[in-house]
Amino acid sequence: MKVGEPEEFIIDGKRLDGRAPDELRPIKIEAGVLERADGSCYLEWGGNKVLAACYGPREIHPKHEARSDRAALRTYYRMAPFSVNDRKRPGPDRRSVELSKVIRNTLESVVFLHLFPMTAIDVYIEILQAQAGTRCAGITAASVAIADAGIPMKELIPSCASGKIDGKVVVDLFDTEDNYGEADVPVAIIPRTGEIALLQMDGNLTQEEFEEALNLAVKGCKDVYEKQKEALMKRYGGE
Amino acid sequence: MESDDFVLPGTELGFAEEFMPGKGTYEDDGKVYSAMTGTLKIDMKERKIIVEPRTNIIPEPKVGDIVIGKILDVKQQFGVVRVIRLLGNPRELPDTIGTIHISRAKSSYVQDISMEFSGGDIVKAKVVDIKRHPISLGTVEKDLGIIKAYCSKCNIALELENGKLKCPNCSSIESRKCSSDYGNGNV
Repeated sequence: MKVGEPEEFIIDGKRLDGRAPDELRPIKIEAGVLERADGSCYLEWGGNKVLAACYGPREIHPKHEARSDRAALRTYYRMAPFSVNDRKRPGPDRRSVELSKVIRNTLESVVFLHLFPMTAIDVYIEILQAQAGTRCAGITAASVAIADAGIPMKELIPSCASGKIDGKVVVDLFDTEDNYGEADVPVAIIPRTGEIALLQMDGNLTQEEFEEALNLAVKGCKDVYEKQKEALMKRYGGE
Repeated sequence: MESDDFVLPGTELGFAEEFMPGKGTYEDDGKVYSAMTGTLKIDMKERKIIVEPRTNIIPEPKVGDIVIGKILDVKQQFGVVRVIRLLGNPRELPDTIGTIHISRAKSSYVQDISMEFSGGDIVKAKVVDIKRHPISLGTVEKDLGIIKAYCSKCNIALELENGKLKCPNCSSIESRKCSSDYGNGNV
């Protein structure tokens, strides 16, 4: 047993932060928060605080990154030095480079990049405060920022994770569960078609557990999707 | 869905057999969906669906717009411009090239276009035609033309002195089709 590891993760059917196994942390999304960005979004997901900004389509530098048939989507996932308990050493590291890549791949599946050849669309995701599940929060915020920038896209893309604690599959792990739990499965879906745009797994799950985890995460994604729609509706006035 | 409804990316708008997918929409698997956050407009006469965005929009040049650009190259008959922005709109245009033909450089006869434009200059121009790529631009009006030029010898911004462009470094005089607000930075 590691230092700080709780003896039990689920007490009387409630998790350590008082949530039910299939309950998400509270989510707050606000679109269009930055004046100078073409599109932006601020998201709070439990203890996660994420700011996403989208620029473009604009001139691409360095020029060799330009694509003659589509825009180059460039994502920058960055954690603020004060986002975690120990100071996060600023600058790109192995983890943020990988997360930038998986987030880019996820967003590429919905943005109509072929409309803007020889340009760049830049998406900056700043993690101001982290409490596990920042890649899901990042994807969720980034897709709202892209929609806010008026860049044509197939659909908003929500993301949510599930995992395993105390041998039980639960949705949306927070930091203690993520650090000492048994598995973590981040998922992003395209809601209308149900296509999976991101699927990763950290830890070990049996096939049955994996399917349960995937279903729970997809269900979580659908709740997140409603929040994304609400944010855009609030900003641009539904009715 | 009805006209003037608020739609989000991915909102189903109708069947492809029923409507032509126009601007701000896309077709997938026989249906038309919105690609933008905005207002739905259905044209029952043309049977066409478009979505008018309510968000910040990606600018597109229209005939008559005033644009700001950079001279990339000067050919025998025309100057090549990278169109950067519409006047007064801070958002960048996505990869737009325009040309200023020698006949549209200024109101009087132009013998040599290299006397009017030079590579690297910043130009304010009017959009004349957008049917073809590159789009056509003109700088005939008094308030159009070069708004910032650089010395061909020392690459320093030229200053307007008694109606002439003078290099503050080497004092050489250069010739351009200048806008009336040269050097004011009105973009």
